[in-house]
Amino acid sequence: MNFLQNAIDAISLGAVYALAALGIGLIFSIMRLINFAHGELIMAGGFTLYSLVGQPLLVLILAALIVTSILALGMERVAFRPLRKANPATLLIASFAVSYFVQHVVLMLYGSRAMGVPFLAELATSVEFGGLRVPRLQIVTIVVTLLLMGGLVAFFRLSRIGLQMRAAAEDFNMARLVGVKANRVIAFAFAISGVLACMVSFYLVAQTGSVSYKMGVSMVLIAFVSSVVGGMGSIAGAALGGFLVGIISVSLQAYLPVELRPYRDAFVFLIFILFLFWRPEGLLKSRADRERV
Amino acid sequence: MLEITDLHVNYGNIVALRGISLEVAEGQIVAVIGPNGAGKSTLLLTAAGMVRPRSGSVIFAGHISGQMQPEALVAAGLSLVPEGRHIFGSLSVAENLALGATVRHDRAEIARDINRVLTMFPVLKDRYRQRSNKLSGGEQQMLAIGRAMLARPRLLLLDEPSLGLAPIVVGQVYEAIQNLRASGVTVLVVEQNASRALSVADRIYVLNSGVIAMSGTSGELKGTAAFDAAYFGVSAGAGAP
Repeated sequence: MNFLQNAIDAISLGAVYALAALGIGLIFSIMRLINFAHGELIMAGGFTLYSLVGQPLLVLILAALIVTSILALGMERVAFRPLRKANPATLLIASFAVSYFVQHVVLMLYGSRAMGVPFLAELATSVEFGGLRVPRLQIVTIVVTLLLMGGLVAFFRLSRIGLQMRAAAEDFNMARLVGVKANRVIAFAFAISGVLACMVSFYLVAQTGSVSYKMGVSMVLIAFVSSVVGGMGSIAGAALGGFLVGIISVSLQAYLPVELRPYRDAFVFLIFILFLFWRPEGLLKSRADRERV
Repeated sequence: MLEITDLHVNYGNIVALRGISLEVAEGQIVAVIGPNGAGKSTLLLTAAGMVRPRSGSVIFAGHISGQMQPEALVAAGLSLVPEGRHIFGSLSVAENLALGATVRHDRAEIARDINRVLTMFPVLKDRYRQRSNKLSGGEQQMLAIGRAMLARPRLLLLDEPSLGLAPIVVGQVYEAIQNLRASGVTVLVVEQNASRALSVADRIYVLNSGVIAMSGTSGELKGTAAFDAAYFGVSAGAGAP
């Protein structure tokens, strides 16, 4: 019974990590950009909820989705588009710059203290399933994640722009040579990453009931680790890596000796380092890399 | 159709093309031959908008290639099949062909053109739903040409279409090129292995170290000492006579 409880915890945390990793992985697969400013998209979603406290739920959700998507598109337009031909290291540094810039704008406007936000408080209660007590938030998280991933798969498989994005992820220059509009696929990727980040911010705000200007930082680090575990450049790998890191985190939380539990994250990252010795290319190799063999 | 005037291209400090001028008239097959490193690929990449010229001009049907994005040039009717084919290996044959029609929106006509490609290259029909990295080199070349045809180009640029292919497959590829010309497509083909290109080209340019060494019809060029040196100098590859 205890095991089942842990399994549900693991899957719901893994689902959140997977959503965050998908946002990172999607942008990387197309642009070779590791967007550390993804965390600030998550944070922007949270602060939208904070700013609109008291509005109907639907308004909150739509407003946060719009703000994160527009911020994602804005980052691309202002910071990353001029650097598109730059090398990945330059892009990475630029993403740090964007990340710090957005954090400090929020710091100036809202201050450094975490602030309480009542959001989806009704999901804090649990449902009983024959002895199992499952928080409603976990159920909603798992269901929403699966729906969103199903939607993404359908989008990539069935839509024209989805097919163009898969082609661009495999061979960006060749995609342009068949007429795929570079600006369009990249804008789509950023808009989708904004939506994914917003979902993560809904979870974080509902879970912690608060927002702060650094709320996205640790999540984006976990997301980055997850996408590396899954295989940088593979979109499916990012999702898989997210679930795996979530499962490992919860397992350590549940089964480490009590006195070591505060250091759980140290063990998570230790396992990550050992994993990289074993499989530096990640679980699923990037399609683009495999083709070059 | 394509007019290149005094084209200079650098990659950083490396000079790739130093003052190339050439012309491709509508309905022609023009071949550019020359050894490895002569600047042939650079020439095509510049015409397709992937590489920016340092000076000189590339004008395709009134469009200035040097100032346009490659995707806009595809929409204007210029397609490049790059060296090494660059099919999307993780996607199916069907998806690769569908991507070829990215710039078009006439669904019914696209479906007809896909059928035309599958009639021209029946082997692609058998493998239509398979991942295209399962195809052989020759099949991949056919897919790459078929994919380019789906954009309905007026000018098709082909970079070493016979590279690494068995002679019989090279024959099929060149048959397809001649069919394309018969259907009104102008072709600019670049080859290191010149023999096959010579037999179909209306006009030939010999490129060496970034300059045009000579040009003319194959009749005019064959027999001149300099041409034979260039031609036989590069004829050791696969598919040579």
